Amino acid sequence: MNAETDALARGLKGYDGPEIRIMEVCGTHTHENYRLGIRALLPDKIKLIAGPGCPVCVTPSTFVDKAVWLAQQGVTVCTFGDLVRVPGAAGSLAAARAGGGDIRICYSPLDAVDDAASQPGKQTVFLAVGFETTAPANCLAIKKAQQAGLRNFSLLCACKTMEQAYYKLRGAADAFLYPGHVSAITGMDVYRRLLKEDISGAVAGFTAAELLTALTVITEHLRRGDKFAVNCYTRVVADDGNPAARKLIAEVMEPCGAVWRGIGPIEGSGLAIRDSFADYDAEKRFSIPEPEEKEPAGCRCGTVLRGECAPHDCPLFGKTCTPEHPVGACMVSGEGACAAAYKYGRLQNVG
Amino acid sequence: MSDEIVTLAHGAGGLQTRELIEKVFAKAFAGPRFTSDDAALLGLGTDKIALTTDGFVVSPAFFPGGDIGKLSVCGTVNDLSCMCARPRYLTCSFIIEEGFDMSSLEKIASSMADAAREAGAEIVAGDTKVVGRGQCQGVFITTAGVGTLEGGKTGGAFVREGDAVIVTGDVGRQGCAILIARGGYGIKADIDSDCAPLWNLVKAAIDTGEEIHAVRDATRGGLATVLSEIAEQSGLCVEIDEQAVPVDEKVKGFCGLLGLDPMYMACEGRMVIFAPKNGAEKLLRAVRATKYGAGAEIIGEVTRSLAGRVTVRTALGAKRLLAPPSGELLPRIC
Amino acid sequence: MCVGLPGRVTEINDGSLTVNVSGAEREVSAELLEKIAVGDYVMIHAGIAIARITAEEAEETQDILGELYGLER
Repeated sequence: MNAETDALARGLKGYDGPEIRIMEVCGTHTHENYRLGIRALLPDKIKLIAGPGCPVCVTPSTFVDKAVWLAQQGVTVCTFGDLVRVPGAAGSLAAARAGGGDIRICYSPLDAVDDAASQPGKQTVFLAVGFETTAPANCLAIKKAQQAGLRNFSLLCACKTMEQAYYKLRGAADAFLYPGHVSAITGMDVYRRLLKEDISGAVAGFTAAELLTALTVITEHLRRGDKFAVNCYTRVVADDGNPAARKLIAEVMEPCGAVWRGIGPIEGSGLAIRDSFADYDAEKRFSIPEPEEKEPAGCRCGTVLRGECAPHDCPLFGKTCTPEHPVGACMVSGEGACAAAYKYGRLQNVG
Repeated sequence: MSDEIVTLAHGAGGLQTRELIEKVFAKAFAGPRFTSDDAALLGLGTDKIALTTDGFVVSPAFFPGGDIGKLSVCGTVNDLSCMCARPRYLTCSFIIEEGFDMSSLEKIASSMADAAREAGAEIVAGDTKVVGRGQCQGVFITTAGVGTLEGGKTGGAFVREGDAVIVTGDVGRQGCAILIARGGYGIKADIDSDCAPLWNLVKAAIDTGEEIHAVRDATRGGLATVLSEIAEQSGLCVEIDEQAVPVDEKVKGFCGLLGLDPMYMACEGRMVIFAPKNGAEKLLRAVRATKYGAGAEIIGEVTRSLAGRVTVRTALGAKRLLAPPSGELLPRIC
Repeated sequence: MCVGLPGRVTEINDGSLTVNVSGAEREVSAELLEKIAVGDYVMIHAGIAIARITAEEAEETQDILGELYGLER
């Protein structure tokens, strides 16, 4: 602990106002708040709720089913590591790989384009999940494939945008801890629009000091009764975000409705590949059977994602639903609310 | 050897097998007790012995800082060392894929000889099989080792409340080296495996005369796995200070880019020692004076606060749990 | 989300740049950033540089808290 974080931590620990609820909407924020010990040092009256910030968690399991189907057709499926263990109705991508499927983990969708270029006779699909931070990389991959004249590369797209989700989650918390890198793309206009609807929050970075600063700003503004939209990650988030990235996303993709696992459909919260880039849309290239979305019995992920139920209060948590055998969305990814709580958080509940 | 690749004939048991053994293995492992008989006849001078075996299937066979041969000897040497047993004799069994490059095999045998020599152990017997292309990947090696006890009994069950936890060097190198050898997701980093034979390090610890309760080598699953195992076996709480855990900057950078945690990355040349607090400083000094222990640190202690679990004190001074590792380590973007 | 890491720019090529993160290096796309110079720090995610880092963390924290509490600088 250095003097700076020490002072911030003491300030928060000394909070003696009414209970406030702050919702994290970034999986990495949830993860870091646990890992850095910020959750452990916050007083009971400052409640951190893990919201739907993990794109893997809010992607319907049918997406995995489609990816597994593609692998079974002999398609090379490239994916971020985060998706590999998510179970679908017919198993996970890891299971598909064990069964002989060509599943490759990529650090970047641009690497998947290279893979496609090196095997012109084989179809390659990249599983494009993510929010605004990752959408530019997914769009660049399509442009790169187009520039290279590739006929064997496409994206299975499940990209989402955050803005509409905040309206859906209104009331779940007193303020949001806005995602740092999503904001680096969108800039602050989104939050000023939300502010007009009386939705408040602060954009936070990812170091201990940055998270503690953002929490301090939120706590202080709530204490004052303010409505606010503050950028606490100014060294990365420009007020105008990244215009070139937004332009690219708008060129390649367009808003559409999207289903958020555990929450349901949110209008205008998804990104679909435009017709002009239809050649790179795996849904158009392949006739992928549309699987049925089945929520497992007893699963309370929806209420967890909306902040209405804490992970520990779900009857399945830690018993039938664990990171090794996840039942629902919140446990499937390492940064889901329940996975993070399971990994790091039981210290508070064990005593 | 005139042949450039290993063929099925080399595994058939006839002339070519004899040639392979003589020109690759016997040549590398030459020693007075090395035998081509069915078994080596040995005297150990005691009935207090330790015996262990391990299989090695790492791919690729060569990685920065080592190869599967060095690994196969160090792994078994280190397992014996954990029991405070001086490694004495090793056997090695090779399963070689048809088409494997002969000069690579020679290099592997040479690495094994070097590692054994450094550990003061002799490779005395072995076996060779060759399987068809695709039936194994490159070469698989199984080593067995026998050692003679030179210290007290060690193990998770002997760990006590108040023990200090010492790690003998920076963690996560082997895991990074393997990922880099496999392409590293396009990331270039100058990280060598920490693969090393650690008998001399353990002997130096024993020779201090201080009580030692457990010595465990961190391998797959890294430091986190060892800590979790000891917590579980002892029924006590292992409390770690995150900032005290030595991690090389380059390992931090490489892992950071991939969203991996160095505490879970494989090691192959690191011991975790549990010993009463009052002897810890002396043990630390002795370990630091050895070739592979220069980076040793005390990283925590054993308490009763949360039975069977590992807790981590973060840079902010707060405590969180360390989750036992599970499943394959996957790079992440979230 | 997201795992993003600050990296120091060590090389700039056409449309891409090399970042160094504590000694680990990778080439990433520079197509979404303008006016990047060697020695700059950028935030990278999934193989692209998404933002230039314009200040040190300490300075950033100080400025934000200063604004919160209305302190003179």
